Amino acid sequence: MKKKFLVLLAVCSLLIPSLVAQGAKENTQKVQLTMGSWRADDVQQMNNLLDAYSKIAPNVEIEFKPTNPSDYNTTLRLQLESGTAPDLLYARSYKTGEDLFNSGYFADCSDIEGMKNFTDANKAPWMSSDGKMFAVPFAAVSHAVYYNRDLFKQAGVEVPTTWEDFLSACQKLQNAGITPLANGLADEWDILETFFLGALPNYVGGTNERMMYEKGEKHFTDDAFVKAFTAMKDVAKYCPKGFESVTYNDSQVLFATGKTAMFIDGSWTVGTYGDATFDWGIFAIPAPEGNKTAITFHPDMAITMNAGTEHPEEAKAFLSWLCTVEGAQTASKYLPAGFFPMINAPITIDLPQANEFLALNTGKETDARFVWPVLLDLYAPMNQAVMSVMKMEITPKQAAQAVQDAYDKLDLN
Amino acid sequence: MAAGINWQPIILGTIMRSKNKKTSIEPRASYWLLYILPALIIYFIFMAYPLIDSLRLSFYAGTSSSNRVFVGFDNFKKLFFDESLSTRYRGAFSHTIIFFLINMVFQNFVGILFAVILTNRTMQKKTLYQTIIFIPTTFAVLVTGYLWKLLLNPVWSSDALTKIGLSFLSRPWLGDKSSALIVISLISCWQWMGIPVMMFVAALKNINQDLLEVAAMEGATEWQTFIKIKVPLIKPVIGMITILTFVNNFNAFDIVFATETVNGAPGYSTDLLGTFFYRIGIAGQHPIGIPDPGVGACVATITFIVLLLGVVPTLKATRGDN
Repeated sequence: MKKKFLVLLAVCSLLIPSLVAQGAKENTQKVQLTMGSWRADDVQQMNNLLDAYSKIAPNVEIEFKPTNPSDYNTTLRLQLESGTAPDLLYARSYKTGEDLFNSGYFADCSDIEGMKNFTDANKAPWMSSDGKMFAVPFAAVSHAVYYNRDLFKQAGVEVPTTWEDFLSACQKLQNAGITPLANGLADEWDILETFFLGALPNYVGGTNERMMYEKGEKHFTDDAFVKAFTAMKDVAKYCPKGFESVTYNDSQVLFATGKTAMFIDGSWTVGTYGDATFDWGIFAIPAPEGNKTAITFHPDMAITMNAGTEHPEEAKAFLSWLCTVEGAQTASKYLPAGFFPMINAPITIDLPQANEFLALNTGKETDARFVWPVLLDLYAPMNQAVMSVMKMEITPKQAAQAVQDAYDKLDLN
Repeated sequence: MAAGINWQPIILGTIMRSKNKKTSIEPRASYWLLYILPALIIYFIFMAYPLIDSLRLSFYAGTSSSNRVFVGFDNFKKLFFDESLSTRYRGAFSHTIIFFLINMVFQNFVGILFAVILTNRTMQKKTLYQTIIFIPTTFAVLVTGYLWKLLLNPVWSSDALTKIGLSFLSRPWLGDKSSALIVISLISCWQWMGIPVMMFVAALKNINQDLLEVAAMEGATEWQTFIKIKVPLIKPVIGMITILTFVNNFNAFDIVFATETVNGAPGYSTDLLGTFFYRIGIAGQHPIGIPDPGVGACVATITFIVLLLGVVPTLKATRGDN
C-alpha cells in the first residue's frame, strides 16, 4: 500500500511542473519563427543576436536553423516548393536570389522603412530588375593584405601605397630571407576570390566600368585586364616555395606562425589571428601608380521573409529592426568578426583589425567581386587563367584572351 | 573507404572457395529462397531500386522532385555535345582510364612480386612484412590522403628532405599538372597494395605442393615453375583483382577529394568520373552550387554500362581451367 502511494506521489510530482509550464505557455502566446541560413558556422553568434532581439520583441521567438552551405540552394528551393520553408531566410545576392523572388517565394521588402539607410550600391545585389528590394542587406565581406608588422620592421619595409612599392617591398623581404606572401594555388578558389578579384578594381575600376565589361562595351583583352594578369605573374615568385600545392589552410598556418610576412585574404578570417604572437595589421591591396586604389567589398548575406509565412507582421518587424542603426549595431556586435554591416551609418566594431578593415572603405570606390553580379559563368575560366599565369604556363595576354573567349561563348540573353 | 567495404566478401569468397568441399545435403529450391529472402528485400530496396531509379532520372530535367520533366535523351546530348560539359567529361574519362591502368598494373605485378617473395620458403619474418604491407589498407582514405598531401608539399617537407640530401624531391608534386594524376594513382596503389598481396599469398599457398615437387624433379627452373605452373593457377585471382580495381577505380572519388579538390585541381588534371559526377550531379560547381541531377544521372548510367561491359569479358578471360 505504502509503495503504491509513493509511486502515485512520484507520478504526480512529475506531472505538476509540466501542467504549470503548459499554463504559462498559453498565457504568453509566443510567436515562433524559424530562420533558414547557409551559415552553419554561426549558430552561436546568431543565437546571441536573436536572444538580443527577443529582449526588444518579447512576444517573438526566432529559431536559427542553418543547413550545410553547399546544400542551401537546393534545400531551400525544395522547402519553398513544398511550403515547408522557414519564415525568415538568408538570401543569396544577385541572380540566385532574384530567381526565387521572381518565382514568388520571397516577399517584397521595398516598403520597409529603414531601407533608406542603405546606399544604392549596397542595395543593388538584392534589387530585382524592376527596382524592387527582395531582401534586407545584412553583411558584407572585404579583401585586403594582412601583414606582420614585426617582420616588416625586421626587413625595414614600409606599408606600400602603390603596386610597384608592393613588389619592391616583396623583393626586400625576400632578400632578408623572409617569404613575402603566404598565398597558394592548391584550393583554387582563394587565389581568385581574395587575391585576383580583390585587386581587380584597382585595374579595371568600379561598378560603372564593370558594367561596361558585362555589356561587352569593354573587352577583357584590354590593357587593364592584361595589367591585372601581369600583376599575378609578377607576384608568383614571392609566394612560398611550391605554392602550387599550398592550400588555403597552409597559407593561414604560414601567416599565423610568422613564416610569411603577408597574406592576401578575406575579412572573414580576421578573427582567427587573435592569438598570434606578433603584431599584425591590414592594408588595402595597392593600385598601380596612376590608378586609384579601390576595394572589393562584397555583399554576401541578406535576410528576407518567406512570402507564404503565417506571421508576416512579426517577420517584417524583425527585418525592419535590422534596418535601424541600433539593429545593425547589435548585429555587428554578435556577427563573427570580418562580416560587416552594410548600413550607411558609423558602426563601431570591437576588434581593432576588423575596424581597420572597415576603415579601408573610406574615400575609396567599392564594388562587389567582379564576376558575381552577371558573369558568374566566367568564374571557372578566370580562375584557371589566373593560376596558369602564375605557373608561367601562359602569358598574361593569353590569359586575358582565354577569359574573352569564355565571355564570347556566354549566352547573356 | 568504399574500396575497403567492397573487398571483404570477395576475400572471404576466395578463402571459402579454396576449401572446395562438397556439401552432402542438397536443399530444395523453396528452402534456400526463404533463407535469402531478407537479403533479397534489402538488396532491392537499397541497391536495385536506386540503381534503376537513377537510370530513369537520366531522362529527366529539373532540380527537385516536383519540377521534374521528361526530356528523353537531352541530358545525354548535353553531356556529349555541350562544349563546356563534354570537354570536362572527356577529360574525366581519360583520367579515370589512366588512373585505372596504373592501379591495375601495380596491383597485379607488384602484388604478385610481393606474394612470391612472401611465400618463398627461405623468407624470414613473413608476418611482419605482411602486416607492414597491409597496414595502409586499414586507414581511411581521408587520413592517408591528408598525410601524403603534407609529405608531398614542399612547404612542410622541404626542410626534412634537404637534411637527408634529397632536396631534389622537394617539388609541388600535387600542384603540377604533369605529375598530379600519376602521384595520386600511386598513392592509391600504395594504400590498397595489401589486398592483392594477401589474395596472391593465399592463392600461392593453395597450390598443390606435389605439382611443384614434380616440376622440381623434372628439372624446371624457378622461373619456369612460376610461369608455367604458378601463374596459370592464380589466374582467377588476377582476374578478380583486375575486376575489383576496375570497379573501384571507375567509382573513385575519395582519393582526389582528400589530396586535391572536387574540381580535380590543378587545372582539372586529376578530375575523375567520380569527382565530375559529384560536381555536376550532387554539389553543383562552386560558387553557383546548383546541381543538375539529370546530367549527373547520365554520368552514372554511362559509368554503370562501362563497368558492366568491362567486368563480363574480364571474368570470362581469366576463369581458371581446373
